[in-house]
Amino acid sequence: MDAQYIRNFSIIAHIDHGKSTLADRMLEITGSVKARDMRAQILDDMELERERGITIKARAVTIYHEYKGQRYELNLIDTPGHVDFSYEVEKSLQACEGAVLLVDASQGVEAQTVANAYLAMEQEHEILPVLNKVDLAHARPDEIAEEIENSLAIEATDALCISAKTGEGVPAVLDRIVERIPCPTGDPEAPLQALIFDAVFDEYRGVIVYLRLFSGTLKNRDLAKMVSTGTEYEALEIGRFQPKMKKCDELTAGEVGYLVSNIKQLGDVRVGDTLTHSKGPDVEPLEGYQEPQHMVYADFYPTSPGDYERLRDALETLSLSDSSLSFFPETSDALGFGFRCGFLGLLHMEIIQQRLEREHDMDMIQTAPSVTYRIQLADGSEQDIRSPGQLPEPDKYEALLEPIVRASMMIPTEFIGVLMQIANDHRGIFVRQDHLSPTRVQLVYDIPLAEIIYDFYDKLKSATRGYGTLNYEIIKYNHDKLVKLRLLVNGDDVDALSSICHESQAQQRGRAILKKLRKNIPRHLFEVRLQAAVGAKIIARENIAALRKDVTAKCYGGDISRKRKLLEKQKAGKRRMRQIGNVDIPQKAFLSVLGGDEK
Amino acid sequence: MPQERAPSGTSLYVHLPFCQAKCHYCDFFSLPAEGQDIGGTLDAIVAESAQRSPRSPRTLFIGGGTPSLLSIAELRYLLDALEEHTGFRASSSETTLECNPESLDRDKAAALLDLGVTRLSIGFQSLDPKVLELFGRVHTTDQSLRAYDAARQAGVRSLNIDMIFAAPGTEGSSWGTALGRVLDLEPEHLSAYNLAFEEDTVFSRWLDQGRIKRMGDDAELELLYQTRAAARAAGLEPYEISNFARAGEECAHNLGYWANKSYVGIGPSAVSCVQGRRAGNAKALQTYRRRVGEGTGAEAWSEQLEGAARLGETWWLGLRTQRGVKPSEARETAGWQEHHDPAETRARALAGEGLLEESRGCFCLTEQSLALADHISAEFLVAPPTPSRSSSLSAP
Repeated sequence: MDAQYIRNFSIIAHIDHGKSTLADRMLEITGSVKARDMRAQILDDMELERERGITIKARAVTIYHEYKGQRYELNLIDTPGHVDFSYEVEKSLQACEGAVLLVDASQGVEAQTVANAYLAMEQEHEILPVLNKVDLAHARPDEIAEEIENSLAIEATDALCISAKTGEGVPAVLDRIVERIPCPTGDPEAPLQALIFDAVFDEYRGVIVYLRLFSGTLKNRDLAKMVSTGTEYEALEIGRFQPKMKKCDELTAGEVGYLVSNIKQLGDVRVGDTLTHSKGPDVEPLEGYQEPQHMVYADFYPTSPGDYERLRDALETLSLSDSSLSFFPETSDALGFGFRCGFLGLLHMEIIQQRLEREHDMDMIQTAPSVTYRIQLADGSEQDIRSPGQLPEPDKYEALLEPIVRASMMIPTEFIGVLMQIANDHRGIFVRQDHLSPTRVQLVYDIPLAEIIYDFYDKLKSATRGYGTLNYEIIKYNHDKLVKLRLLVNGDDVDALSSICHESQAQQRGRAILKKLRKNIPRHLFEVRLQAAVGAKIIARENIAALRKDVTAKCYGGDISRKRKLLEKQKAGKRRMRQIGNVDIPQKAFLSVLGGDEK
Repeated sequence: MPQERAPSGTSLYVHLPFCQAKCHYCDFFSLPAEGQDIGGTLDAIVAESAQRSPRSPRTLFIGGGTPSLLSIAELRYLLDALEEHTGFRASSSETTLECNPESLDRDKAAALLDLGVTRLSIGFQSLDPKVLELFGRVHTTDQSLRAYDAARQAGVRSLNIDMIFAAPGTEGSSWGTALGRVLDLEPEHLSAYNLAFEEDTVFSRWLDQGRIKRMGDDAELELLYQTRAAARAAGLEPYEISNFARAGEECAHNLGYWANKSYVGIGPSAVSCVQGRRAGNAKALQTYRRRVGEGTGAEAWSEQLEGAARLGETWWLGLRTQRGVKPSEARETAGWQEHHDPAETRARALAGEGLLEESRGCFCLTEQSLALADHISAEFLVAPPTPSRSSSLSAP
């Protein structure tokens, strides 16, 4: 298609602000999907995504819209909505010329929306503000438009007011995309230069590469190569997403589509890389590929040691479809053989954990997530510390450093006081405060990432009754008075439960952890002693009294099956326990220390 | 489908599901009798007996529910029919019928003896009027004592009294005194149960609502050991966790359950276990009656335990008894053919930890470890098989 009739755009929105609903409505209105094929939220195809209402992997879809008698090809590049996936967001945005900034007309601008909108503005995208859910009684479109202007410094007085749910105003959004978002430039006759902005793994077809062509033309059966690796592939199939994959003969400059080749694993494709013809002239790589940055680490251990191989296979399979997951073997005295995994963030970690459980039926123990610390040695060199177990004795290093993030929080004005208190309690350093509107404010703090991971986000959510949002980026490593908090069960160290924390928090955290353990470790035939220690000093203790009575009074012919099954069930629960010394610690005890869900 | 008739000599249990009122702790299948078609249900039970009862049962136990609630005529109809189908009057060494005090008098006791019943089990549960009320019992302490006397006067030689201890709110009150009064009656057998809060009972609901409270492990344990000591002193030896008897008066029928022997159960909800295959009848009276009437059998569920699972269950049950488990007998009961006996290995390990003791070739709980019977005997159970795992893609 002639590039002047193509528009490539994304939708930037906060979770639940209606991005997927708007996309669905666009598909429906333009007839891209027949009404009977409509499933709510077509773009989110992973089960987990639907459940959580978030988009994990970017998706693309091509729709055709009639405007003043001309047929336009609109390529919607869907972006993940979560801070963990900002690299993917950036790459998706890079494939577009403009973005629809979708804001809930009652909720207002959220921190991530601002962060993503800034990413789009850095790429000089045209931003179209759209206010959604204006049909709701508590919508405040004027006030929210003001918030957009104050937080992003973009004109929002003519923001479109829509209801993605009912479809009201959606055709006007399509028209405005055609009117305001520039068409792609780029010569179809020039050498091929295509951005790989995403890739997914399909069990049957291998890797499917998502492309945005900036110049040149890609035809079926063309030989193409990745600029950074030089690897060659034959284009076995190219096509567009409408929204199902539909083959075509060629993709030209400005277009968005997919490529299927004999690429076996996702690790072979680098999102951000440039694709060009093998035999063509050398082309400049499009702007930058980055290795994914792992900000959060946690260990997975199979509950049953015999499942180690299965866990490795499962992680390998997952990494086929998620190249930002990293893992390497880890051994723990307490938990045996497992894997230390690196994640983009907390949400990413949870998603991987759930996929291992659901898709691979893994029973695992997951250790408390931790950040990557750094130690400075006497010779001035630095070393990364990925788990508390790696931390040498205090006399073996000069300084212990931790990553600091710049955290930006969007909150209703009334919560400023309580939020500042929470930030102070989490060792936050005030940076600035911006009033977005009479009712909303942006607070910016520098806070240790470890604090964010520990419970800062939960506290922010509950203190603001869910209205506060958070975005953060790593800015530096800082030195602080950090100690290793040891956990002992009947005198034995449980490495998996140890953590690094600030000296001033050690006792309080130790106590909190012991309380959770006491609740979740079953009684044994002997007393179980739980202790928290810093160095050799015990700073908190709890005891679990010995089990004294466990006996069924009545068991006759009619009771046997039922009572046996009850006991069998308890026994099956024990399979999920790990033995430390002679104490059985159930998975839920580990999870309770994590502060995660109890399963 | 109806199963083959169990071998001659298999014990027989008959379930009569009617009570005057449901007790608040009870999780057996029972229904308030009022407005029910007792005659029709009896007809169905008799019909099922004709289809399934084993010949010449070793023991017969008629439980419920409250079998004594039936009139003498109804009892005669039932027992005569059972006699016709099984010949139990000649074969059964012990024929027990469960009674509640409000429905047992001298005439009924005499009639039962006449009909071949040899043993009555009377549910006193408590001698404390407040506790009787809390339990939802429909009789008084006096009625309990009168029913017992009536049975004796009618000439019943083997009597059991059922009692429950650790009722909510009875902390520090005189269980010992009540137990003493019961033992003074010189019953041949005593069942004394620690109150349990079973699922789907009034009591478990009250417990969740905070209306009643558990007594607590330590206080309950004290009562358990107090009961054992008092019973022993009165000549009733503990032979199972909650059962005490004079020598030779142990309940042969119940010992069969704990020895994992076969039994056939007749009546709504009744469970049978023949050759390791355990199956339960439908509970709902209509379903039960219809299915018996159609001759398709009233079975609602079944399970077949084999191998290590059956061996484990045999140990789990057997450890409830004072005698304990003889490994060779357990192997025979469970049909265990392999040379290695995992249960015996486990028993030796537990004995090494002092949780079991070995005497005269049997492994049994100790007086101390008795309080942990479930914890210990569950060690013998084989956890249900892991649900089959979907095969994961192998790494390329």
